[in-house]
Amino acid sequence: MLCVAGVCVCAPRGTRAQEPPYFVTYSHHLEEPGNLEIELNPDYGTQRGGNDYLASTMEFEYGVKGWWTSEFYLDGQSTFSDSTIFTGFRWENRFRPLMREHWINPLLYLEYENVDEADKTMIEVTGFDNQADYLPRNAVLRRETDREAEMKLVLSSDFKGWNVSENFITEKNLGHDPWEFGYAAGASRPLRLEATANECNFCLENFLAGVEFYGGLGTSWRLTTAGTSHYGAPVLGWQLPSGVTLRISPGFGLNGNSHPFILRWGVSYEFEGFGWRLRKLFQ
Amino acid sequence: MNARFVPALFVLASLVAVAADSARDWKTDDRGVLIAIARAPVEVRAWKNPYAGQPEAVLAGKKLFSQHCAGCHSEDATGRGRAANLRSSGVQNAAPGELVWVVRNGNLRKGMPSWSGLPPQRQWQLVTYLETLR
Repeated sequence: MLCVAGVCVCAPRGTRAQEPPYFVTYSHHLEEPGNLEIELNPDYGTQRGGNDYLASTMEFEYGVKGWWTSEFYLDGQSTFSDSTIFTGFRWENRFRPLMREHWINPLLYLEYENVDEADKTMIEVTGFDNQADYLPRNAVLRRETDREAEMKLVLSSDFKGWNVSENFITEKNLGHDPWEFGYAAGASRPLRLEATANECNFCLENFLAGVEFYGGLGTSWRLTTAGTSHYGAPVLGWQLPSGVTLRISPGFGLNGNSHPFILRWGVSYEFEGFGWRLRKLFQ
Repeated sequence: MNARFVPALFVLASLVAVAADSARDWKTDDRGVLIAIARAPVEVRAWKNPYAGQPEAVLAGKKLFSQHCAGCHSEDATGRGRAANLRSSGVQNAAPGELVWVVRNGNLRKGMPSWSGLPPQRQWQLVTYLETLR
């Protein structure tokens, strides 16, 4: 823990992101062009009638243009008293169709995912996702691979330091199954709106707090909030002057179909000018 | 298409995009920021900087500049690549309201991100610092 804290405080200076501290909800803020952000986002989930698990995504987020961000994910999980496995990859792209800020800013999200049924990262909830889906052993779950396309409409607003974001999610298995729907919504703000004159690690301006809710909305055959899982989770982010961002979020299942408790945490570091340095290799 | 080819296609597409981008002229270009300032609505010229003349705000703005802007515009704000020279007369003659509008909206087509995620107080602190670069 001391080593991690040392790295966070003493890391070579990166750049400071402006994204809200959500884990599931997206806002309209994109990666700055040319910057590469590397994130590790593990989550620990409790399982009714089964073994708890630790899942994680490794994310590589790159700002291609001012209006376009691309992100590549590698997923894995470890289920206690079972096994540790790689579960697949995702590739997402986010686009801002409007070039200026508005009261409500839309963002279009497109993703291709190739993950097996053993994936437990739960970076969204759709359809009739249920905590019981995770009960079988990994060897059984990973027999089926899902190749899915996912689209989101993100609506996001910044007002007096607050960010409020709503996501409407639709997911389609490319092989079979109906369209699945889900939602995510969050609100957050920095604990202090003004910046202080000096660099500091523990100033309130470096902390962001908020809350997010997410869950399923059934399928195109049956659009409903019943029979699927829903979660509520406070979120806390800490942006260090070194460019490292730490986040944590204890999430709580809001009905019997949900995992009782999910603890998410994340660490990210943003490399500024990554694209510019890469380009120099080709010149 | 076999799903195994998708990662390879991803890597190939990324390399082609980077190689194509490298062929472009990467001299400092102030036109983007001038166009962005020109696009600011007329009414923003009347916006008053609530931090004008406050030395603490200048220091806070300098810190914010270092955290968010220096990576592209360089630490001395003279610009780098396509990122504009913020000491240029075009920028320094802009009204504070116009500058804060550009910070808030960015110029997405030209690569300048919008910084609306920064609270308005910090946007004004940043502009307070920029105004000292004259």
